[in-house]
Amino acid sequence: MGTRHRQLGRDLLRRALLPAAAACAVLLAAGCASSSGGTTPGGSGASGSSGGTVDIGVATTLSGPFADYGTAGLDGIKLAVSQINARGGLLGKKVTVVSGDDQIDPATGETVTRNLILNDHVAALFGSVSSGVAAAQEQIAGEYHVPIFFHIANDAGLTTKTFNKYAFELSPNTDMEPAAAALAFAKEIGHGPVRIATITPNYDFGIDTVAAFLADLKKDGVSYTVTDQQTPALGATSFTSQLSALLASSPQYVFVGQYGADLVTLTKQGLGLGLFTKAKVGAMYDVEVLQALGAQAPAGAIAWDRAPFWTGSSSQMQAFVTAYKAAYGSYPSEFAIIGYSAAQAWAYGVTQAKSLSADSVVAALSGATVPTVRGDITIRSCDHQAEVSEATGTVASTVSPSYGVRLWNPGAVSPSPAELIESCS
Amino acid sequence: MATFLAAVRGRRAPAAVVALIAALAVAPGALSQAALLNVQDAIGLALFACATNLLIGYGGLVSFGQGAFYGIGAYTVALAWMHLNTSFWVTLVAAPLLGAVAALVVGLLALRTRQLYFALLTLAVSQLLYVIVQQQESFTGGADGVFGPMLPSFLLSSGNAYWFTLAVAAGGLLLLWQIARSPFGMTLRAIRENRERAEALGVNVFGHQLLAFTFSGFFCALAGVLSVVWAQSANPNLFSWTESGYPIFMAVLGGQYTFLGPALGALIYEQARDVLLASFSDSQLVFGAVLLAIILAAPDGVAGLLGRGGRLLARRWPARTAGGQRAAAGTAAAAGAGAGDGVRRQDRQDRHDARTGGQQDRADGQEDRVARS
Amino acid sequence: MSHYLITFLSALTEASSLFVAAAGLTLVFGALRIINIAHGSFYAFGAFAATTLVGSAAGGWRFWLALLAVPLAVAVLGGVTEVSVLRRVYGKDHLAQLVATYALFLIFGDITLRLWGSAARSVAVPAVLAGSVTLDGGEFPVYDLFAIGVAACVGLALWALLQRTALGWRIRAAVEDRELLASAGTNVPLLFTTVFVIGTLLAALAGVLAAPLASVAPGLDASIIIAAFIVAVIGGLGSVTGAAIGALIIALFNTAGVLWAPAWEPAFIYLAMIAVLALRPWGLLGRAER
Repeated sequence: MGTRHRQLGRDLLRRALLPAAAACAVLLAAGCASSSGGTTPGGSGASGSSGGTVDIGVATTLSGPFADYGTAGLDGIKLAVSQINARGGLLGKKVTVVSGDDQIDPATGETVTRNLILNDHVAALFGSVSSGVAAAQEQIAGEYHVPIFFHIANDAGLTTKTFNKYAFELSPNTDMEPAAAALAFAKEIGHGPVRIATITPNYDFGIDTVAAFLADLKKDGVSYTVTDQQTPALGATSFTSQLSALLASSPQYVFVGQYGADLVTLTKQGLGLGLFTKAKVGAMYDVEVLQALGAQAPAGAIAWDRAPFWTGSSSQMQAFVTAYKAAYGSYPSEFAIIGYSAAQAWAYGVTQAKSLSADSVVAALSGATVPTVRGDITIRSCDHQAEVSEATGTVASTVSPSYGVRLWNPGAVSPSPAELIESCS
Repeated sequence: MATFLAAVRGRRAPAAVVALIAALAVAPGALSQAALLNVQDAIGLALFACATNLLIGYGGLVSFGQGAFYGIGAYTVALAWMHLNTSFWVTLVAAPLLGAVAALVVGLLALRTRQLYFALLTLAVSQLLYVIVQQQESFTGGADGVFGPMLPSFLLSSGNAYWFTLAVAAGGLLLLWQIARSPFGMTLRAIRENRERAEALGVNVFGHQLLAFTFSGFFCALAGVLSVVWAQSANPNLFSWTESGYPIFMAVLGGQYTFLGPALGALIYEQARDVLLASFSDSQLVFGAVLLAIILAAPDGVAGLLGRGGRLLARRWPARTAGGQRAAAGTAAAAGAGAGDGVRRQDRQDRHDARTGGQQDRADGQEDRVARS
Repeated sequence: MSHYLITFLSALTEASSLFVAAAGLTLVFGALRIINIAHGSFYAFGAFAATTLVGSAAGGWRFWLALLAVPLAVAVLGGVTEVSVLRRVYGKDHLAQLVATYALFLIFGDITLRLWGSAARSVAVPAVLAGSVTLDGGEFPVYDLFAIGVAACVGLALWALLQRTALGWRIRAAVEDRELLASAGTNVPLLFTTVFVIGTLLAALAGVLAAPLASVAPGLDASIIIAAFIVAVIGGLGSVTGAAIGALIIALFNTAGVLWAPAWEPAFIYLAMIAVLALRPWGLLGRAER
């Protein structure tokens, strides 16, 4: 009996003591590692400056299917920072970019964001690709009083439902984007009546975009009937069944909510089914999608883009494109451009406030008009939404002589922000 | 060393575990806020991993779908708050119960299959829930998940949240521990080692496995509640098969043949992940490489490595006293004879160490499978 | 009404892709008893390598070159992987094997991101296969018909290999009873490597074949492995014919789902998988294991 106890005891030991001891060791190590990473606790708006540097954090998606967008945004921000440093830094301090990958998972995004704030003491944050992760980040930024700039995630909820004063949205949001698309369609259609079909990814963004688009179309005075609506899963590899069902309903116009890789897939498969000869299609044909499609880019299709670099003729934009191409070897997508402008906005806020403290920067930016590579942008004081436009045009049939890629036909339109968003009441 | 062994020998509660809990309890004073939150996260994940390991390490049932119950636990809190404004303290109790019920239902379906098919079926269940939750936007909040002040104000202070998590996790682990070393747990392990023999002995295999599955679902859902305490939100990713994979990896990393192994794995994983995310952009590569190394070189996980190291030490430094000698002899005997689970495996591992080579490993594996089939 | 033919044909195209991808997976499991999650990575390597070789300029001879050379190159990688890593996990339990191949999946995924970046890529259809045929009810791409044809050829070739060659006999024997095969004097490790190489070749071929049908972007490995899994499970792990039937069932299921219950369509494949696993876990044509 005693031997049994002894054996059981030893068994317990082996099974519990060593792992427990090891766990203690790991904890100790973790505690030491993290506390040495940053000793002063947060407080309100820790300036994150030690000596002559200030850190900013980019917590975005750097792996998986949307790595593209996150990386582009990060590249844009890094370029802005390198130019700021070349001009002598911000308030005499050098700016350093610290980045973290949220792997498009909200829990990981929260960890990364918190670590950036608590360990690296960043003075500003730049947010994620997905609106779900962005909402989580917004909560944390509000909790620790760190200004956060959204340059990719653009859900309208970020400036309404989950809004706090430390958040800034630099992209046209999910109300503005469909409004611009609706204006583009209305220009083509006139008053109708026409037959419209929609296809969009089956999640919040896709569904909300279509709903807003149809509502805006009605407001623009177009009379239409919806012949079919398809909602394939996000990231689906085959749209053929949905597209042929769509085409069977004989629409004259098709609104496509897919973007990025999905749009490339949909376009290729649509071409095979004759989608672009049977109906007029509109989608987010930005430089990345057009580059991937190459000769298969659907000429004449309606297109929209949050910040196309080829439509304006500002010298600042030209200089930016050249610098970006030199640094990264490719043309900047809208996410790189908006990211760049977000960094510019933060730097402007710091310069105006003459301080790195969060509350001063936020106060300086609220309602301010910031000069950026996209032109002068006003940040509304009521919800910190940037009053920006969404450009619309049609896909070109020939390669652009200046850029060697098929882009848009000349005559792209950028509606004024007032046309796209309701004013603050 | 010998006196320590002698001291612990007589008691039931492993003193080191108590020491660990004490160390964890004072952490809020010692650690920075970021580190504290990481440890809090790790503690919740430790419960998730150990609950899963009840199935994997003890039951021999590799379920790739425990994320389903984890998510159910989290979403019970979130949705009850969102639609019914239910108090957190109510959902704290309701969530694990719902998890247990769900596990019972899934178990009835899934436990009729074996081994690999069981893993695939549980994976499918997990993914099915993931797709449904994402899709039913109006009810579940869709792909973005649920946000809002769903926690009571008591839990909004980081110290309180931490101690609450520690208390719940420790309580949960204690209960799991009791389950694991009860006769029920022993029978479960017997079933894992040789199902046919257990059946021949009259054991209701299906009943035992179903009960284990239900217990696991209960505690995984409880871990899900803790995830809401940490994140103050719920999102559909909790249901995905990649989330279900985490406790499995933690169990493999820490050691699936010891009770606290998965908890150790959770701690290591959490710390390592932070370091990786911050310093490397190739976090996937490193994680994959580490997993592979563990599988190839140390299938018993870190705990197994430590165990082997510990026994090596014990053999090198036998105690001087008579009691100590008996202790040393006892340790060797236990190592040789095999009291309780995992030892048989470690034993074979020891023989394997002596004669290195993959051949031996494969032979063991063949033996193992023949014994099992 | 009239677009049903097109819809059916597009389901066939999807089934073709799935079949070639799943055939390799099921063969490897049948003979080696190993679930190779990295199978998706080999598929992705095939697709990405094709984008480098062919590009989005109207592909001509380059596409044919890619169709031949890329699967062979990736197959070599598969062989190296099998010899260096997988041989060490054959004896271990299923969980260890799953985790090992998942670890490989992670490593390969990262390598893919490093080599090809995160932007979406596209492969152009070769000129001779470009364009569409006008059928009753609409247009249907020529390339899709080609893909269906290739899948049929692959199916025939596999059938011939398995039923008519000595190697095929050995593979079938390995699926039936491995221990007996070893005692019959076959060099089992070499056979395993051969089967794994064939499986990898099929995965990469599927990748190249599917590349012009869709975009090639990160995440391709994860999406295909799940689909291939489901097809292989439904058809019966180890049965190539089963994979063909499973692919057809899944493709038709998906299509029907899109037409009649679009909101629930993503859930269908998982429901199907659960149903098959609950009722007949060894799949339609698999062998009932104890």
